[in-house]
This record gives sequence, structure tokens and C-alpha cells, in this order.
Amino acid sequence: MSFDLPKVLESKRALRRGLAALPVAEKLRMLDALHERELAIRGRASPPGSSALRGNAAPPHAKAL
Amino acid sequence: MDIKEVITAINHMEADGVIERYAIGGAVGATFYLEPVATMDVDIFVAFHPEPGSLPISPQRIFDYLKAHGGRMRGEYVVLAGWPVQFLPPGTPLAYEALRDAVSQDVEGTRARVFSAEHLAAIALQTGRAKDKARLLQFIESGALDSGRFQDILTRHGLAEAWRKFERQFLSDTP
Repeated sequence: MSFDLPKVLESKRALRRGLAALPVAEKLRMLDALHERELAIRGRASPPGSSALRGNAAPPHAKAL
Repeated sequence: MDIKEVITAINHMEADGVIERYAIGGAVGATFYLEPVATMDVDIFVAFHPEPGSLPISPQRIFDYLKAHGGRMRGEYVVLAGWPVQFLPPGTPLAYEALRDAVSQDVEGTRARVFSAEHLAAIALQTGRAKDKARLLQFIESGALDSGRFQDILTRHGLAEAWRKFERQFLSDTP
């Protein structure tokens, strides 16, 4: 462990590269888990009756990313 | 909650002729090339079979089909395997091309058609929200893009100036 910022940033980049290089199926399972966690957090934070689908809405043609 | 089940359902829908062609876009599409990032929905771009006497682009057949196969409607979404799925017609020439040129990928024996990395990056540039710019940077930093192919797409779709601006803003050492 180090407080050397360049080293910290490089380790973050390495972690992201490692995640990106995982098999697609594994990454999709991670998306499943992230989604479940996000829903759980929103469920706790949102008042009853509010939509679970809230976010940075975009026009349909802009939804490719 | 299983995104692979969503892909399987869309494959069946295509095989049954409800849609002509599909491709995964959005954050889920980007996950095929980058590290996973949390997202709330799955964006599926679709080409439709126009029906005589109906609007050329109608999602009704999709909704009817998926409801009959266990999907639940929630506003503009169909919930499949716990995921809200949004079906989108390609609204721009760039999105049309992305759908046409989408690539087939294998997910543990299941075929999934996904926008190419270059098209996802070009669409991010065109869309231009903060999160799109962040994702475009991810594509660049990851080395996931074929530079020649990416530049070709930008040129053909009038995005060269937007790209120069993006480069000045985010990829240049001097302001």
C-alpha cells in the first residue's frame, strides 16, 4: 500500500483493465449483482410509491450508451 | 436476475420473426468491451418487420410476444428476468449503421448481438452527456477501439469536429 498518487492511479487502471479482460459471461453476472445492489439501495432511499426506474433520461436515439 | 435470460428471450423473439434484427447497446453493450458499470436497464435496438396496415414502427408485437412469454410491462419497459428492458428503434443514421454492423458474441453458448465498440464510442460522442463522455474515455483508455474504423465512422457521420473538440477537452495536455 502506498500514498504515491501515480502508483495509486496506475493500480486503479490495472484493476479496470483486469475487470475489462474478464470473460463476458462473468462481467454480465457482475452487472446482475450491481443491478440488484442498486435496486436495494434505491429501495431504501426512495419514498414508498416512487419509481424504481429513475435516472439520467435520454432521448431514444441517445440510448446507445 | 439474469441478463443472460434476457438475451435468450430476445434471441427467441428474433427466431420467431417478431423482430427482424436486434443489437444490445447502452451500458450492457459497453460491458462486452469494458469493465462492468452499474446500470438500471437493458437497451435493445431493434429493426421491425412492418405489418400491412400498421405503423411501420410499432413495439406492440414485441410487448404482446414478451407478455405471452412471462414479461411484465412497466411503463416503457418490459421486465424480463428481473431486468427492465427497453426496445428502441434506431433513431439516427449512426444507430442504423450500428445495428446493421453489430457483432455476434458468445456468452457461454448463448449468441448475443452487440454494437461494435467503435459504434458505441461514436454514439457516446454524438450523445454527449457527461456519462457518455466518461464512457468514451473508458473506450479510449482501454484500447478497445480500432482507431481507423472509429475515425471512419466519425467522418461518415459528421462527427469529426465533435471529436476534435473532445480531444482538445479531454485528451490534450494543453488547454
